[in-house]
Amino acid sequence: MSAAYEALRAEAGPPREARERPLLRVDLTTSSVAAGADGTLSRLRESIAARGLDVEIVRVGSLGLSFAEPTVELQRPGRLPVVYGPLPAEEVEDFLDAVLGTARSEAGGDDRRWAIGVRGGDGQAGEGQEGVPPLSAHPFWAPQQRRVMELMGVIDPESLSEALAGGRYAGLDRALEMEPRAICDLIEAAGVGGRGGGGFPAGRKWKFLLGAPGPDKYMLCNADEGDPGAFVNRILMESDPHLVIEGMAIAGLATGAERGVVYIRDEYPLSVARMQRAVDEAAAAGLLGGDLLGSGRAFRLEVVRGAGSYVCGEETGLIASLEGLRGMPKIRPPFPAQRGVFGLPSNVNNTETYAHVPPALLHGADWYREFGTEADAGTKMFSIGGALRRTGIVEVPFGSSMRELLEEIGGGVPDGGAAKGIQPGGPLGGLLNADDLGLDLERPPFTERGVLLGSGGLILFDERACAVDLALYFSEFCEDESCGRCTTCHGGSQRLVEMLGRITRGGGRAADLERLGVVDRTLQNANCLHGQFTPYAIRAALRHFREEVELHVLERRCPARACRGLIRHRVTDASDPALAEAAALCPTEAISGDDASGRAIDEAACVQCGLCAELAPAAVAVEDRFPVAAAAPA
Amino acid sequence: MRCVTNGANGGERTDAGDLTPAQRDRVAAALADVEPGKGNLLPALHRVQHELGWVPRAAMTLVARRLGISEAQVYGPATFYSEFRLTPPPASLLTWCSGPTCRVLGGERIKLILEETLDCRLGENGPNDDYGLWLGQCNGTCEQAPQVWLNGRVVGKLGLADAARLARRLRDGETADAIAPPPADAVEIQPALVRRGETP
Ligand SMILES: Cc1cc2nc3c(=O)[nH]c(=O)nc-3n(C[C@H](O)[C@H](O)[C@H](O)COP(=O)(O)O)c2cc1C
Ligand code: SF4
Ligand code: SF4
Ligand code: FES
Repeated sequence: MSAAYEALRAEAGPPREARERPLLRVDLTTSSVAAGADGTLSRLRESIAARGLDVEIVRVGSLGLSFAEPTVELQRPGRLPVVYGPLPAEEVEDFLDAVLGTARSEAGGDDRRWAIGVRGGDGQAGEGQEGVPPLSAHPFWAPQQRRVMELMGVIDPESLSEALAGGRYAGLDRALEMEPRAICDLIEAAGVGGRGGGGFPAGRKWKFLLGAPGPDKYMLCNADEGDPGAFVNRILMESDPHLVIEGMAIAGLATGAERGVVYIRDEYPLSVARMQRAVDEAAAAGLLGGDLLGSGRAFRLEVVRGAGSYVCGEETGLIASLEGLRGMPKIRPPFPAQRGVFGLPSNVNNTETYAHVPPALLHGADWYREFGTEADAGTKMFSIGGALRRTGIVEVPFGSSMRELLEEIGGGVPDGGAAKGIQPGGPLGGLLNADDLGLDLERPPFTERGVLLGSGGLILFDERACAVDLALYFSEFCEDESCGRCTTCHGGSQRLVEMLGRITRGGGRAADLERLGVVDRTLQNANCLHGQFTPYAIRAALRHFREEVELHVLERRCPARACRGLIRHRVTDASDPALAEAAALCPTEAISGDDASGRAIDEAACVQCGLCAELAPAAVAVEDRFPVAAAAPA
Repeated sequence: MRCVTNGANGGERTDAGDLTPAQRDRVAAALADVEPGKGNLLPALHRVQHELGWVPRAAMTLVARRLGISEAQVYGPATFYSEFRLTPPPASLLTWCSGPTCRVLGGERIKLILEETLDCRLGENGPNDDYGLWLGQCNGTCEQAPQVWLNGRVVGKLGLADAARLARRLRDGETADAIAPPPADAVEIQPALVRRGETP
């Protein structure tokens, strides 16, 4: 350990815990705030002050339990911390009575109403505590292997001291004693692969940059996380920003790159703020800048905000954006390691990739490979959601079963509904049928099924979703986000939108089934993967939901009743009183009549929004617009 | 990207004429420590938007001068990136999440209900600019799907009727802050201003 690092660690002190007074950790991240965590925090502060209690309150990142937000964690002196949630502001008074007031009995307080589990090392938590089971026994938690998520939700992301007390920058300190090539070798031997979707070995990629003339080279962090439905990078930056910074600094030492940039999507303002704060604090402590821990070596880092463009997540689009240009992916070669940002050699990795670097460096290749598969070593963070009981962020070994992830951890479809399919890997990732739930979570089986595992977003959908509608949706997304460089890409995606739009309005023709394939092949001539992968959704729909696509094209029917052009709403019980409210709220005032005369839907005015069927399910039928007898000739 | 010819995030360009002298001063102050050079374009545009709430055409001229680049070099990117607003924001902003989790749970119908009830399309403001309906990209709070944001605060797990009621309140004159009031400790999830500049 260098003297400089030792001094920083000593100054930071031991990890925070409840010593003399209770310690209350409040998850304050974008996910929890969406569920009202800032309101909960206000109420906690007010009530604790009003009661004259002596409680230490800290804001922390996220344990990943989005489904239980707002979550808080209370540790009383001499006890293990207990995670509670959801705790809305309105329940704060009752909660405080239960956990800190007289209502709590030693035998097991009525705080169990909010309790999720006792957090602690598995052995420590053991049987739980005072009637609350250990978190390690919770289905959301049990199958996880939390390596990069170790400190998430535990430390204050706005405190360098807490990060240091948790062991952050020990990897950087170690790397300062190593030769650059030895660092690359170690990361390559560990098999740390790119988490942005490609899986390319990071250590090998770094060697391209190491070989380029320096020190004017750039280490770039791709925090654009453009895939909607994926929020792995966000939770990392909001919960443990120093882990990402440390990984980048080590990568800088490994390649001789003395400059770094974290490029964060504009939709993540809290990530931007927390990363910027962490960079400033690290720089002030000599963990970034011109003299890393007194070694004389340099790594300078800055944070740049994107401005809303999906293709800026593509590495050359990201580089163009940093150069102040429209974010149009470039033509390769030259590759970034030859000519990257401002013409200087550059390396791009995903945010999570950097987060895996410090633990791999500290614990070695064998430790790292303890989890994972031949193709994909280590663990991977996933964000899971959709028609799912437990939305959240988890870390599991590569190779775990997707069924375990979605059915055990995620709890499957709510209310016992049936899963229909999975949308992996973002807009370019395609669709999978629920028959494939048993796939292992590593790249090869996904690629083999014609889809992408991608960067970690997995969306489960049930019978309400339609494969053709989703293919149209992703085609529209790709059309909107095409940078416009290639006619094949922007024209091809427009063509897909036109055809799929026509099909979902009842204009399908048998020849479309073939023509969609022609557009797909044409798109393979696009410059970057955005264009080339644009047809993945429709290709996957044709492969995994063939029957459903054919029903749309040939019979003009949507079995999910999702495509509005193929359905109609009809009143079947004109006197149902529930229709009154539906009539009042119908956005196009399409429901006529009154209680006395009964109500009916004016077909010409109805836009098939489904609101009346939601409010008066017993009185409104959702039917095929084109009865089978009138089907188009094939 | 913002596609002018099609797509949801339409936001047509308007030339709102010149800035007032006071606005020019504010923009100049916001750009004062931005170094010249094309590479500082995004941070410069973010500062303008932070200051004025949008990026008027006349402010692009000031950015071009400050950075020492041509106006075309500012105009191109300013109109490419969808987060730069080229029209003034409304007092109450209703943002509809366009993401896939929301979609599989009914988001597309919610958009339709909002558009019909508010009588404006995505990317447009209602009468008098009191409210506007804009497209948002998923920010990873999909637990609350399907959702919208009222002045940046998530209102989630919306049923179709919930969406219609919410849109009516806006249409009938309630403000976003009245419908979804921020708590005392509201976390600034609104865009933070990031300083461009490497660590020393
Ligand atoms: C259209 C498009 C969007 C992409 N978006 C992202 C993204 O948001 N985040 C990311 O890490 N990689 C994204 N990628 C992949 C990057 O180009 C690049 O492969 C990755 O950042 C490399 O990092 P890794 O090796 O650590 O995964 C995208 C690729 C394409 C074609
Ligand atoms: S394939 Fe599409 S996104 Fe990629 S460079 Fe061409 S037009 Fe742009
Ligand atoms: S489906 Fe929507 S538009 Fe049609 S009648 Fe029902 S509420 Fe009105
Ligand atoms: S898809 Fe709407 S919040 Fe993620």
